[in-house]
Amino acid sequence: MNFTFSKEQNLLRQSIREFLTKECESEFVREMEEDEMGYTPEIWRGMAKLGWMGLIFPEKYGGTEGDFLDLVVMLEEMGRACLPGPFFSTVVLGGLTILEAGNESQLSEFLPKIVDGDAILTLALNEPSTTKYDPPLITVQASVEKDKYIIDGIKLFVPDANVADYIICAARTEGGPDLKEGITLFLVDTNTPGIKSTLLKTITRDKQCEVAFDKVKVPERSILGELNKGWTYIEKILQKAAVAKCAEMVGGAQKVLEITTSYAKKREQFGQVIGSFQAVQHHCANMLIDIDGGKYITYQAAWMLSEGISCNREVAVAKAWVNEAYKRVVSIGHEIFGGVGYMAEHDMTLFSRRSKAAEITFGDANFYRKLVSQELGL
Amino acid sequence: MDFGYTKEEEKFRKRLGGFLDKELTEEIARQNWEDKGVGPEGREFSHKLASKGFLGMSWPKEYGGQGLPSTYDFILLDELGKRWGAHVPLDVGYTMVGPTILQRGGENLKKEFLPKIIRGEIEFCLGYSEPDAGSDLAAMQMSAVEDDDYYIINGQKTFNTECHYAEYHWLAARTDTNPDIPNYKGISLFIVDMNSPGITIEPLWTMSGERTNEVFYDNVRVHKKRMVGEKNKGFYYMMEALGSERNQVFVPARLYPILEDLIHYAKETQYNGKTLAEDPIIRDKLAQAAIEVDVARVLAERSRWMESNELPMTYEPEVTKVVVSELEQRLVNTGMEILGLFGQLEEDSKWVPLRGRIEWYYLHSFLTTIGAGTSEIGRNIIAQRGLGLPRA
Repeated sequence: MNFTFSKEQNLLRQSIREFLTKECESEFVREMEEDEMGYTPEIWRGMAKLGWMGLIFPEKYGGTEGDFLDLVVMLEEMGRACLPGPFFSTVVLGGLTILEAGNESQLSEFLPKIVDGDAILTLALNEPSTTKYDPPLITVQASVEKDKYIIDGIKLFVPDANVADYIICAARTEGGPDLKEGITLFLVDTNTPGIKSTLLKTITRDKQCEVAFDKVKVPERSILGELNKGWTYIEKILQKAAVAKCAEMVGGAQKVLEITTSYAKKREQFGQVIGSFQAVQHHCANMLIDIDGGKYITYQAAWMLSEGISCNREVAVAKAWVNEAYKRVVSIGHEIFGGVGYMAEHDMTLFSRRSKAAEITFGDANFYRKLVSQELGL
Repeated sequence: MDFGYTKEEEKFRKRLGGFLDKELTEEIARQNWEDKGVGPEGREFSHKLASKGFLGMSWPKEYGGQGLPSTYDFILLDELGKRWGAHVPLDVGYTMVGPTILQRGGENLKKEFLPKIIRGEIEFCLGYSEPDAGSDLAAMQMSAVEDDDYYIINGQKTFNTECHYAEYHWLAARTDTNPDIPNYKGISLFIVDMNSPGITIEPLWTMSGERTNEVFYDNVRVHKKRMVGEKNKGFYYMMEALGSERNQVFVPARLYPILEDLIHYAKETQYNGKTLAEDPIIRDKLAQAAIEVDVARVLAERSRWMESNELPMTYEPEVTKVVVSELEQRLVNTGMEILGLFGQLEEDSKWVPLRGRIEWYYLHSFLTTIGAGTSEIGRNIIAQRGLGLPRA
């Protein structure tokens, strides 16, 4: 057993924090919330230059071949800084899906572009029919026409589609709407005629979109992985995405704990700092317990993913726990900050909005408790 | 990061598991856990554990141990816990007193007591709480006054469990009554033979049927050689032992058999033509319980890992304590909800489900957030040591 990060991982964390402290102050985060693109090319280039997009990818495609725990370190720092922009979409949802499902020519075409910061990717799963989170529920059709496929239908909650160069679209090539068989992944250039992205206005003002595919013609070679076997890749990617999201959330929660306790040590009422009151101390202790639990349950799942150990239960437990824990942490943060934390300009509001969005992304606690109950043999 | 055990550790776990499956009956496990008092069967089991080399793994060789990291002792606790055991039979000596003797005791005490503890031959009972010293433990009044080579001890202790079958009292008493010093600076630790003249033990019965005790000292003479470490340093020793105590006493592994029993019950029990396991509310509750037990396990393992690697622990074992004790309450409450009307039946009753274990645990669980320090004191410690918040 070892419950610490390596020296290299600590250095990685330090360098990410340094960059983000400088380049991603909360003012910038708020600016990007109102920005159409949601990021700036300058920060994106800066990240690429530091090798962030290549962290998890093999050396032969220009990456540095880090493991999943390295990525967790990076995402924790990004969550802490509320980093806006398409990193998660490009690297986790796009790049890792290609790495999982792509053939050699797709790998060598797309991964180097991602690593260099030259391509933005995303993954289109949800649809208007996803009124309850249910990943295999895919109704958008891809039908064969000669040597082409025609994708038709609407995808929803597609992150960063407004700026993406490529969208990996999960479409149904066979069978009924909720079957795991018959789903195929298509890697689609967003310049293809018939694709239209419309920005949704979300609680965090992140750039989630409706993407309408209007009889979009794509060549057969744009299929990622095997025909009709898309679910096998989606399942793996969603596990990684859930743990990656947990890492972001834990990073955000840690920052909330830090700003809240430091406020409790300074703010005076009744002639003493409020952090000396037991009621406030117990609130803070509860935050620390929730976050410590969130960290180690996330690290455990990430370690198992790194080691290639099957971890259905561990991933489900992690996301279920972190979803609820982060929400509790921000609610305590608001309680301790009182009125000032409720003001739109206060940093607390960045985290309370993000904790809600992250909670429902890739499955809320109800969804994961269902998975856990299956894992328990119920 | 590495959440796995080594091959050697897994091999040890397997060998131990095989032994326990054969030798550890639920009755023996419950003797200690329910504080009924370890009887002859429990003592015999203790000897067997020792003779097979399952006790004392992490203790120094010179006192009869094997000099391995404390991970091995934690594996022992986990394997016992999975089988309703949770402790070694004579656990106060093994998990709480022994480490402090090793750390702070003089060579004579080490030589006299450690080998017997490691061989599973003697038990201690903790003598800390008093009627007016609960959460404010340092306010204890029991007095120990020097008289030549002896201390004369007078006063009263309460909630001293295990005293009715332990050989020794691990006693904290006041050796400095100067009102100008903080009260925690005037306390010393003693090892007192329970057969000493002047000691009276009166039983106190808990609502879950366990026995604890009041202990009265009337001019009890204790030789100075039985003082542990330095005079007036007792409270420091008690606090320094706290982290390791938490790690050894609050064992998430012992929550798994409860969860497994409930899962089994839900799958086997019919309601209206379906099993309870098909009820979405019951599924959700059991899943939530499993999630919390898994989180408690990683938190406990983090804290144990720090201890095994001799890293300074500050608030981490307290997290284990608060989390495990409160989770135990929620878990058995979930159990009682699932059992419905049948949940109220006691062990010997007709129609009792799950051997009455859940009903017993439900009553017992009221203690978990009180015993060994309340959740409130625990959260104070976490906030002050873990986050640097100031004392009021």
